[in-house]
Amino acid sequence: MKKILVANRGEIAIRVIRAAQELGHKAVAIYETPDTEALHVRVADEAIWLGDGPRKDYLDITKVIKAARKSGADAIHPGYGFLAENPEFAKACEDAGIVFIGPTSEVITNLGNKVIAREIMAAANIPMVPGTPNLSPGDEGLQEALAFASDYGYPVMLKATAGGGGRGIRRIDNDSQMREEVPMARAEAKAAFNNDNVYLEKVVINPKHVEVQVIADSFGEVVHLGTRDCSIQRRNQKLIEIAPSLIHDKSIIESICETAVRAAQASNYTNAGTVEFLVDKDMNYYFMEINTRVQVEHTVTEMVTGIDIVRTQIKLAFGKKLLFKQEEVKIRGHAIEMRINAEDPKNNFMPEGGKTVDIYRSPGGYGVRLDGFVYQGYTIPEVYDSLLVKLTVHGYSWNETVDRLRRCLKNFVIVGPKTTIPFYLELVDDPDFQEGDFDTSYLETHAHLLDYEEQNTEINKLAKLIAEIHYKEENTYAV
Amino acid sequence: MERIVQGMHYKEALQILRQADGYYLTNTARDLSQSDFKNRILLHTDLLAAHARENANYFSLEITGGASVHVDILRKQVDPFLKLELLREKMPNTMFQTLCRGVNLFGYRPYPQNVIRFAVREFAKYVDVWRVFDFMNHIPNMQAVFEEVQLAEKILEPSICFSTGPEHSDDFYVGKVQEILDVTGEDIILCIKNHGGLGTPKRIGELVAAIKQKYPGLIIHYHGHNTDGNDIGRITAAVLNGATIVDASDHAFTGYYGPPPLLSVIHTLKEYGKTAIGLNEEAVIESSEVLRNERDHYEYFESQFKGFSPTVQIHKLPGGAMGSSFEQAVKGRFLDKMPTILHDELPKVQIELGNWWSVTPGSQILWTTAVTNVLEQDRYGNPSGDLKNLLLGKYGPFPFYQPADWIYEKVFGAGWKNILAEEGGVEDIEDMDIDKERQVLTERLGHKPTEQQLVTYLQHPNDAVNFFKFEEEFGKVYVLPPSIFLRRGGYKLGESLMFKDHAGKEHVIEIGPKQKDEKGQWSIYLNVDHQERNYTFKEETKEAAAAAGPQLSKKEIEDLAKSGDMRATYSCNVCEIVAKEDEEVAVGDKLAVVEAMKMQTPVVSQVAGTVVEIHAKVGDALKAGDKILKIITEVE
Repeated sequence: MKKILVANRGEIAIRVIRAAQELGHKAVAIYETPDTEALHVRVADEAIWLGDGPRKDYLDITKVIKAARKSGADAIHPGYGFLAENPEFAKACEDAGIVFIGPTSEVITNLGNKVIAREIMAAANIPMVPGTPNLSPGDEGLQEALAFASDYGYPVMLKATAGGGGRGIRRIDNDSQMREEVPMARAEAKAAFNNDNVYLEKVVINPKHVEVQVIADSFGEVVHLGTRDCSIQRRNQKLIEIAPSLIHDKSIIESICETAVRAAQASNYTNAGTVEFLVDKDMNYYFMEINTRVQVEHTVTEMVTGIDIVRTQIKLAFGKKLLFKQEEVKIRGHAIEMRINAEDPKNNFMPEGGKTVDIYRSPGGYGVRLDGFVYQGYTIPEVYDSLLVKLTVHGYSWNETVDRLRRCLKNFVIVGPKTTIPFYLELVDDPDFQEGDFDTSYLETHAHLLDYEEQNTEINKLAKLIAEIHYKEENTYAV
Repeated sequence: MERIVQGMHYKEALQILRQADGYYLTNTARDLSQSDFKNRILLHTDLLAAHARENANYFSLEITGGASVHVDILRKQVDPFLKLELLREKMPNTMFQTLCRGVNLFGYRPYPQNVIRFAVREFAKYVDVWRVFDFMNHIPNMQAVFEEVQLAEKILEPSICFSTGPEHSDDFYVGKVQEILDVTGEDIILCIKNHGGLGTPKRIGELVAAIKQKYPGLIIHYHGHNTDGNDIGRITAAVLNGATIVDASDHAFTGYYGPPPLLSVIHTLKEYGKTAIGLNEEAVIESSEVLRNERDHYEYFESQFKGFSPTVQIHKLPGGAMGSSFEQAVKGRFLDKMPTILHDELPKVQIELGNWWSVTPGSQILWTTAVTNVLEQDRYGNPSGDLKNLLLGKYGPFPFYQPADWIYEKVFGAGWKNILAEEGGVEDIEDMDIDKERQVLTERLGHKPTEQQLVTYLQHPNDAVNFFKFEEEFGKVYVLPPSIFLRRGGYKLGESLMFKDHAGKEHVIEIGPKQKDEKGQWSIYLNVDHQERNYTFKEETKEAAAAAGPQLSKKEIEDLAKSGDMRATYSCNVCEIVAKEDEEVAVGDKLAVVEAMKMQTPVVSQVAGTVVEIHAKVGDALKAGDKILKIITEVE
């Protein structure tokens, strides 16, 4: 039996704790003061308080390592976000003799630097969106940028080398904007990532976002678990993810998956990772990046392959060999995951921080999976993310899966904060979604999906009146 | 025997009525609710009875109109249009009937022509029979409604309001019938509206005979009240003398001031060889079997005084006002004065003011004037705004004689003749800018209203907005049975409340404990569809209650007014705040308008000074002693 410290919070902490406990290991949670009552602290075998936070203690490598030492943890699972893709954290684990459940710090360093990553991929002949190296400082860099734009045409993407997860990206449509934005992007990157390197990429117009789950042991075996489509995004943040991609041409899918495996091999990848691609209208695909961590949307892959990715991650980190070969990986049916967030979609998806979930009831039944952090009485934190629960449904056909999704969304009873559910209910009835016809422009071109009516269920309204009659001992509206 | 059903062309229905060998019955469920249950019979109950009532084959079911439209939104929290829609689903064949107050529609004072026409058009989509009256029997007051009903091809039933006394002769009423026919043509039903249940069977028989003699082809619908316990006598006389349709209602709910039981009417007339055409007696019985179980839940709304009131022949209060007048007497603590008010003052006021018809809104003017006269011990010394309007002829000309000069002088002062000359006469109410009102309502609701919502709003703006907001907050509450909706004293611990919502979904709410913490916060625990819920309520603390002030006596309120501290003198709603902060006012300036007992009364400044604080706002419900506004008198 080993001890695994989960260096995260939220649903992913619980996801990892479950996998650790299923393997017979002990799970150690860490938390900041605002998370004192949080669910991951309850389900872990032990919990260590880091500090008042918020966020800064979860991001404090020294404190996390200290907590691991204190609890006698053999390994650390970083989840996603926070320190998950910070190579210094992986390095600190390595230095402390604690197993880091993920790739090596060197791999994280290389792949985290977009320019190095591009160099690795270029060497391995992985197709990539045309782009520049890091722009030179000052006016020279600006001239390089303008030259690139004149070669490939606008629009282009200006990206922070150290950015990620949708941060530090801006679209440039003309020269004057370029002159304005390059210095600004540098300043912002400096402030956000302490690294002012920026570079350019050609914009692929309205691509599909297709990614491949790869998994590699330390013995050179790399397999993929098929594709996911994460095209439905808002401001470059994924909202809905499906597996597998609905691209009809199987040869394209196979080719993308094979490329992903090569990319992982080229970067000496170990453990679980995700190779992201953009696919344009003509089915050209371009490597984007490798995420060196478990993804939020890993659940859809688990549903269609039957492979527990987190369990596999832990086993591989402890030096086990992969138990399955590529040909043993089978994709069965379809899965869709939706992030049920405490947000007001009508108000630009503004988080409902501070509101309390008065009632929480979740769907169940065949083909339904929930990865949640919410409970009745949960208060949406103002200092962390607003994810309540991830709903993942699995079905034999795409249609069946969409029908199941709709049913599950209707079965949720969440009273208190506004959620993304009413918006999703519009979305599942959208013919384009039902046809699988969506790309990264989906939300912009389907803004009408936000024109739903806010609805409180009739019984909640009636119950409120009954509570009032009971309290006042008569119906003051009807006397 | 021919049945008249909803959807038939009105001319065909009238033709069947003209050839009827027997008589038809209208179930006046609305009038029963209004007269004996303060209008509180819920849609839930009407829906329970709908199936049996449909099978009873009435000529019509009077289920809307009168005060019910207002009470629907004010108390029962049900949309008056949705109510008709839901009942129609269950009662496809029965014609629905309304009672419309002419220019006063379903309210208490005149509306602009375009509002009247708009409202009638919207309601005519659901209402087949339109009984229209005016408390002054002033035909022009009803003309807009007449025209719209005829345009909508619905059955028009103009009324002559009936009363007793030397002026109320057959000749007078026959003349009124002619006035009506002159504007409507002969394709109508004539209603004899005996809202007080006045006169003897003999008198009613004579009146019907006199009208029938002059207009043999005219269909007469007799409407009465059983206040004196003798309406079946009057109904019988009416039918024997030629009335074709009469009113009664379900015996399980009959009380003292509303309609008599249907079955008793049927049995009585059968002995005279008169058949209730198409009527299914078993279904009439079944309706009452269904309703009987519900009556207990409405006990609180029944009259405080049990028993028939044959003295109605003296005070002439209409059935619909009996219950509420006793309620006011109890709440206003002048129950001991009721014999004086009802048997001395009210008859006197009626004669003094012109001996016209005591029915809404005239009955409220008479009642309020009589009550004020007795309580203030200063006859006509505290006239309501509506009494002034009446005296100025704004409701229409006095049918028999104008009140004596001394009353005008008392109400308007020495210059009354000038006031009457300048302001007198029927007011020409300007059309409303309905589009603008729609915009205002859109802003108040935060979304575009339906045309039906707009109609409701145009009649009762504040109450309508409150209702729409209530519905957004508490949902479609008509699904709650009276045992839940009207429960007094709270629910029992562990009690299970089961009901279906408007979509037909089953729900169960179990009542959990009710606890108070040290800070005075109450927690109400409910188990809603097997899900725990907690609702918290802040109790009004003793300090807050003390801050609200002790109850002031009438004398104290008056003294405060003389110092510029204007308080409500009785329980009322604020209709209008005329004064503005920092504004200078003089003695006699109108500061605000309040409404109580359906009467509007101005709040008049008793000092000269500057308005410094305005406490009340439009729509507020004030108790006696509550602050309205404060005036600082000028310091010399």
